[in-house]
Amino acid sequence: MHLYACKKKQCYILNNCPKDVLLNAIGVRDGLQVSIVTKQPMGGPIVIRIKKREIAIDKSLACMITALAVT
Amino acid sequence: MDCHQTKSNIKHPHDAKRVLLMGNPNVGKSVIFNRLTGLDVVTANYTGTTVSYHEGLIRHQGDQALLIDVPGIYGLNAQSKAEEVAVHMLNDGADLIICVLDATHLERNLHLAFDLQNYAIPIVYVLNLSDVAKRKGIDIDCDLLSKYLNAPVFETVAVKNIGIDLLKDAVFKTHQTTPPLTIEDPYDKSREIADNVTKETDVEIRFIERLSEWCIKPKTGIPILFLVLMLALGIIVGGGKTLRSLLLLPLVNNYYIPFITTLFEGFLPDNLLRNILIGEFGVLIKMIEWPFALILPYVLLFYIVFSFLEDSGYLPRLGVLMDGLFRKIGLPGNNIIPFILGYGCAVPAILGTRASGSHRERVIVVSLIAIAVPCTAQTGAFITLLGDRSIFALIFVYMISFTTIVLTGIVLNRVLKGKSRPLILEIPNLLMPDMRSLGKKIWIKIKHFILEAQVPMFLGILLAALITETGALDVIGTFLEPLVVGWLDLPKEASLSLLLGVVRRELAVMPLLEMNLTTVQLITGSVVALFYLPCISVLFILVKEFKIKIALLIAFSTFIMAFLFGGLIQLLLNLVM
Ligand SMILES: Nc1nc2c(ncn2[C@@H]2O[C@H](COP(=O)(O)OP(=O)(O)OP(=O)(O)O)[C@@H](O)[C@H]2O)c(=O)[nH]1
Ligand SMILES: [Mg+2]
Repeated sequence: MHLYACKKKQCYILNNCPKDVLLNAIGVRDGLQVSIVTKQPMGGPIVIRIKKREIAIDKSLACMITALAVT
Repeated sequence: MDCHQTKSNIKHPHDAKRVLLMGNPNVGKSVIFNRLTGLDVVTANYTGTTVSYHEGLIRHQGDQALLIDVPGIYGLNAQSKAEEVAVHMLNDGADLIICVLDATHLERNLHLAFDLQNYAIPIVYVLNLSDVAKRKGIDIDCDLLSKYLNAPVFETVAVKNIGIDLLKDAVFKTHQTTPPLTIEDPYDKSREIADNVTKETDVEIRFIERLSEWCIKPKTGIPILFLVLMLALGIIVGGGKTLRSLLLLPLVNNYYIPFITTLFEGFLPDNLLRNILIGEFGVLIKMIEWPFALILPYVLLFYIVFSFLEDSGYLPRLGVLMDGLFRKIGLPGNNIIPFILGYGCAVPAILGTRASGSHRERVIVVSLIAIAVPCTAQTGAFITLLGDRSIFALIFVYMISFTTIVLTGIVLNRVLKGKSRPLILEIPNLLMPDMRSLGKKIWIKIKHFILEAQVPMFLGILLAALITETGALDVIGTFLEPLVVGWLDLPKEASLSLLLGVVRRELAVMPLLEMNLTTVQLITGSVVALFYLPCISVLFILVKEFKIKIALLIAFSTFIMAFLFGGLIQLLLNLVM
C-alpha cells in the first residue's frame, strides 16, 4: 500500500522513499515508523507523525512511498 | 532604500574572531544572534526567516568577535540559495562555528552537525528550544551528547536568555578543532546518537499540543481559521477605528490643528506660502493627520496581530491546510506566508519568497501581491475612506481584490511554464509567543513604517499642496478629464490621486477623503487606487529581484487593470444603483 492511501490511527513502516533531497534532509526515510495525523482535502498533502515531529508530505510524493501496516 | 536587509555596515575588526552561527531552519539561530550581539534581526516561527546573512559583534570582557547569522539549512549540498550562501561562508573560513540544534528534532539536526565537522573548524553545539522539548516529554543528556560529538554542548532557551552567558564565554574559550567522526551512514549514526541520548516520557498531552493538531485537521482547522480571521479583522478594523476616533483624531483636530494654524496665521500673510503650509492640503497639517491619525492605528494593529500569528507557528499550519486550494493558483500552500506578509508590506514579502520558492512560484506570488494585495497603509486608508460610509463598500472592494487574485493566479498558472513543486514541510512547534521579543518586533516594524513612510509622504503632500495652490491641478485635471471624469465618473480634482499614487499606495486614496464623493465614486476611486501602481520601494525591489522586463510587465498590467476595472465597476454600479 502506498502512504497516501493509509488510514488514520494506525502505524506504518515506510519503504521505497524516493531520493528527494529535501525529503531526506528532513529525515523521512525507509524503516521509520510513522502514524497518520490527517489527509488534507482537494489533493492537499498528508501529514504524518514521526516520533514527536509532524511532517506534511505532498500527495505526489506520498503516492511513491510504500507503507506497511504495523500490527 | 530597503532596511529589511541588514547586511553588515560594521567595520570588521581585523583581530576579531570570525564566528559562524549555523543550524537547521527555525531552530532559533536569529534569537541567539540577537541575544549574543544585542542587535535586532528578524525572527519568526517558520522556516526561512533569514534569507541573507547578518553580521554583528559579540563583546565580552574586553574581547570581541564577529558573529554571522547564516540562513538555516538542512545540509551542505548547495540545493537552495540559502545553502549556497552557507557553503560560501564556510569556504571563506572561520575561527569557530556555533551549531544550533533543535532539542525537539535532534536526530534530523545531527546530519548537519556531522557535515560541519568536515571543515576542520572548532565547533560548539547549542541545544536550543529545550523548554519545548521538556514540554513534549523529551529529555536529552547533554554530557553524553557532548561525548558523542567530541565538542562542548550548551543547553539553552534562547527566548528566555537561559544558557546564553555560558555560550558567550565558550565563544572566546574554544580553540580546539574536533576531528570528524568516522561515519558510514549519517542517517544511521544520527539515529543511533539521538536514540542513546534521548529519553522520551509520555507526558500528559498538553492543550497546546492538541490545539496544534486541531489547526491542521480540516474539520477543526477551517472553523479555527474563520475564528482567527474574524478576530484579526475585529482587532484591526474595530480597534483601529476606536483608536482613531476616540484618541488620535480628537488630538489632531482639537489640539494640533488649531495650534499650528493660529501659530502660522499670526505671522504669515495670507499668501501662497501660508496656503501651502496650512491650507487645504497644508503640508504641516496633512503630514500629521494622514500618517499618524488615519493610517498608523491600522498599521500598528496589523503588526500586532501578524507578529503574534507569525511567532506562534500558526502560519505554516495554515499553509498545510490551504495547500490543496493554493495549488489551483499554482502555488504550494506554504506560500500563504509571503502572501499574508504582503498585506503588511510588499517589500519584505517579496524578499521572503527567496527562501522557498522556485522561480515560477516567485513570479506568481510576487505578481499577485504587487497587483492586487493592498498593504496595511492602504488598508488603513480604505477603512478610513469606505468604512465610515458603508462597511459593504469596504467588503466589496476587498472582494474585487480577492477575485482578481484568484483569477490572475489561475491565468498565471496556465501561462507560465513548469509545475509547482511538491510540498514537504516540517510543521514547527506551536508556541506561546514570548511577549518581550514580540514587543520588540512590533516596535521595529512600526519604526520602520514611520521612517520609510515619512519622507515620501511629505514629498507627496508637498506636491499636492503645490499643485492645488498654484492652480496646476486645474490644468492637469483638464488634461486628464476624459479619463477621470469621462470614463471613471470622478470629479476633476481626483486626478490628484493619480499623481500622488505614484509615490505611495495610500496616497492614491487619501485625497479622495476631502472630495465629498458619492458611494459609487468612493468605490471607483478605491478600485483604481487598489490596482494603480505598486509603490516606489516595491518597484525598486521588483527590478532588483527579477529582470527589469518582469518588473515593467507587472507595473504595466496593474496600471491597465486599474482603469479597466475602475471604469467597468463604475458603469456597472451606476446601472444597478
Ligand atoms: N519556546 C522557545 N522558543 C524559541 C526558542 N528559541 C527560539 N524560539 C522561537 O523559535 C522561532 C524561530 O526562531 P528564529 O530565531 O527565527 O529561527 P532561525 O533559526 O533564525 O530560523 P531561520 O532564519 O528561518 O533559519 C521564533 O518564533 C522564536 O521566538 C527557545 O529556546 N524556546
Ligand atoms: Mg533566522
